[in-house]
Amino acid sequence: MAAKAIEMKKQLARLRDEALRHRAQFAEVRFASLRQTSIVLQDGRADRVAERSRSGLGVRVLLDGAWGFASTESPVYADWLTCLESAVSLARVSSARIEQPVELAEVEPVVDEVRAEFAVDPAGVPLDRKLAAIRGYEEASARRAGDRAANLLTGYSDAREVEIVCNTRGTLVSSERVRTLVWHTITARDGSVLQRGREIRGEQAGFELVEATPAEELSVKAAARAVSLLRAEPAPAGKFPAIFHPSITGLLVHEAIGHNAEADHVLSGTSILEGKLGAKIAADCVTIVDDATIPGSWGSYRYDSEGVPGRRRVLVENGVLKQFMHSLETAARMGVAPNGSARADGFVHRPIVRMSNTMIEPGEQSLDELMADIDVGILLRGGQWGYVWCEKGQYTCHAGEGVMIRDGQLAEQVRDVSISGMTLETLANVLGASRDFELQMPGNCGKNGQSMPVNGGGPYLKVREIVVGGQA
Amino acid sequence: MDELLKLAEIACRAAVRAGADFADASVEQGRGVSISIEKNAIQSSDARQWARISVRAFVNGGTGWFSGSGTSEEAAADAGRRAAEAAKAAEPDPDFVDLVSPAPLPEVPGLYDPALAEIAPGAVAEWAVSNVDSARAVCGDAIVSGRSGVSWNRWAFANNLGVAVTQQTTAASVNAHVVIRRGEDVGSFFEWDSARGLADLEVEGIGARAASEALRYLGSRPVKTGVMPVVFGPLSSDGLIMGLCAAASAEEIQRRRSFLIGKKGEQVASEALTLVDDPLIPGGLSSSRCDGDGFPHRRLTLVERGVLKTYLHSHYTARKSGEENTGHSTRGGIAPTNVIPALGDKTAADIITEVDDGIYVALANPVPDTASGQLSTLVDAGFRIERGRLTHPLKNTMIAGHGLEVLCNIDVVSSDYRAEPGRVLPTVRVRAMNVASAD
Repeated sequence: MAAKAIEMKKQLARLRDEALRHRAQFAEVRFASLRQTSIVLQDGRADRVAERSRSGLGVRVLLDGAWGFASTESPVYADWLTCLESAVSLARVSSARIEQPVELAEVEPVVDEVRAEFAVDPAGVPLDRKLAAIRGYEEASARRAGDRAANLLTGYSDAREVEIVCNTRGTLVSSERVRTLVWHTITARDGSVLQRGREIRGEQAGFELVEATPAEELSVKAAARAVSLLRAEPAPAGKFPAIFHPSITGLLVHEAIGHNAEADHVLSGTSILEGKLGAKIAADCVTIVDDATIPGSWGSYRYDSEGVPGRRRVLVENGVLKQFMHSLETAARMGVAPNGSARADGFVHRPIVRMSNTMIEPGEQSLDELMADIDVGILLRGGQWGYVWCEKGQYTCHAGEGVMIRDGQLAEQVRDVSISGMTLETLANVLGASRDFELQMPGNCGKNGQSMPVNGGGPYLKVREIVVGGQA
Repeated sequence: MDELLKLAEIACRAAVRAGADFADASVEQGRGVSISIEKNAIQSSDARQWARISVRAFVNGGTGWFSGSGTSEEAAADAGRRAAEAAKAAEPDPDFVDLVSPAPLPEVPGLYDPALAEIAPGAVAEWAVSNVDSARAVCGDAIVSGRSGVSWNRWAFANNLGVAVTQQTTAASVNAHVVIRRGEDVGSFFEWDSARGLADLEVEGIGARAASEALRYLGSRPVKTGVMPVVFGPLSSDGLIMGLCAAASAEEIQRRRSFLIGKKGEQVASEALTLVDDPLIPGGLSSSRCDGDGFPHRRLTLVERGVLKTYLHSHYTARKSGEENTGHSTRGGIAPTNVIPALGDKTAADIITEVDDGIYVALANPVPDTASGQLSTLVDAGFRIERGRLTHPLKNTMIAGHGLEVLCNIDVVSSDYRAEPGRVLPTVRVRAMNVASAD
């Protein structure tokens, strides 16, 4: 281990011990650093090359049953002491105004060091090689779109994150993660009609991700979609039987169920799943998993930001709600074992309950079988974004494109459209899931001002009906 | 703040010494406190400090960026060098001419309040607690979550042509999300207030307002799918207006990915819509002395009686197209500041009364896609309008249309409005829009 890392851990342990002198029931000092390189290639020119470097300390103190948290970007130990004092003083502010003292679940302390796994260290790859790779994506897209290409944007980024968690339970965990991401967005034009196509690939991997991602799977796919959408009509409005592409299934499972299954939402009285543990909440064919252990996946981690091992969590099994995602605090409040779901966005935020890689398990049908008995319906694909009002169970997802289903067959293509539904109605109305499965939505989920890498996916999913926000 | 400005200048000099033709640097230092509420009680009190520097360097027009933590002279010089190295790796941009030259900058009063900069965390916690109390005074079993917070920021900006700017700001906000349950029925609403000065902040009553609204949203139902008038309340009309401004970014236009390409000087909305962008409003949340490039801010008419008067420019896009710089750079992008719609002569109540069969959208984000112009979004909170009255709250209802059609179908902007610092948020009615629902 590098001398610098050993010294850092010593300093963190020293600060943790200092917290005990303030009578803290629990204290956690967390150092996080990020180094990121990104390149944007636009219309044939790499006109932006950026480097980002941030590091700092977050201190969380539980005192008199209340939390205080403070962060600093300073590397100086004296400033860390001030940061600790600030967290202690804020815990005292909270403690005078809490209704129920915070308690934390017991877990075995862990001492470990996790190194990132990759084949080709992106830090060792020269910028011109990175640039050449993404230029290949752009050129392939331009060839595919021809004179329909109005604007081409191609991006590359790699990042190295380090998080060291040191707490008064004896946990001292250092986690290194390396991420590589490539994306391509094309705007295609035909007269006054503009349509976009976008594809993204991201993994916890090195530069080998780029080498293993052919243009056909990224930029050519985006170009083909954008060009074909130029001829598409707006989607119709109203209720329709629907089949979700895995990317829409991923959005649905993340927005509609994932957020509602975060135990802090449940405990705050804002989840529709409150009081439903053990109850049937979905059709038999629905099994929903949040799995932090998938090697290389964008949302995976060995340890969460409380130093608890990440794991595979079956949230819904054959339609029955089995468990929530937990932090040490929410696990104690619900009287269950923690399951390693507390994650923090860098050092400036405290850990909160988050998802990792969330998916619906595959079924046994083919896409053709799912479509066979639909007279008029819609296949939605190109999942882009979504959000949920947890307390109402009302969610929306935006699809980049749709294809009408007529007499069990794919028919005309329709343009970008949003759908909405009520979570429990939708889950009860799932009629089937395909064997085909995809987990390919690397992105960032926002919650309480924190942005966290997650992934999502699933099979093609058939739903009895969904509201399509189209045009009459 | 001279020490921050000195760091920005050190970074620029280091970038130029390392081979950059041009460079600018932004240095920020600040702190903030936020108190979060979950289920009617304080969940956590958080403090944050930041000190960071960001340098943009140009070599033959290619842009290199470096941003990092720390505000020492060494960190500034290192940031400058690294930005220059990144710029050398970027490719030449023949459209890049230069950076902004020094010019007198206006002063904008009301952006900094020493009372907020020095406020004790305990007082901020009291704001949060008082909003729980006020919500539960309206409805005893209201479930309240939310946040109160303050921040103080010092900013310095310099470029190698001599632009040197400093600005100090404070901000405070209080919000409350109230949920009321009656069996399986749920009513909820989100309210907030924000300000640059303590005197302008409504520290109590946010919870009460959210609770009163949440009660109104019990008993929601879908409506029939169809084409009907849609009234956008103050909190949702902003999405339409800001969506129009986003598509008017000269960067989007020049990169051929906006539905407003070729629309400058043309009708892009109905005559009911006139929009002014004013970054100099005292105490405005989006007010400042200059844009992200250091270009002096000024008041500007964006849309006049539905006609798009200008695109929104940065120094780069203005040079590229030979048009006037409008001062809308965010240093990496383009964005409007305080957008003020001209008001009409009917109240929101009058506007609703005139609708025989339609919907009222209280909360939604009706922003058209910048490229395609397509708008398809969920009504987060809204009401059915029948014979001029709000009859029942909406459930699982969506609205859709093409941005230009929707904007051209605006038939009235209200005379009354919700005021936010620097902003005027009126009620807006669209004659006809696609409404899809589960009925």
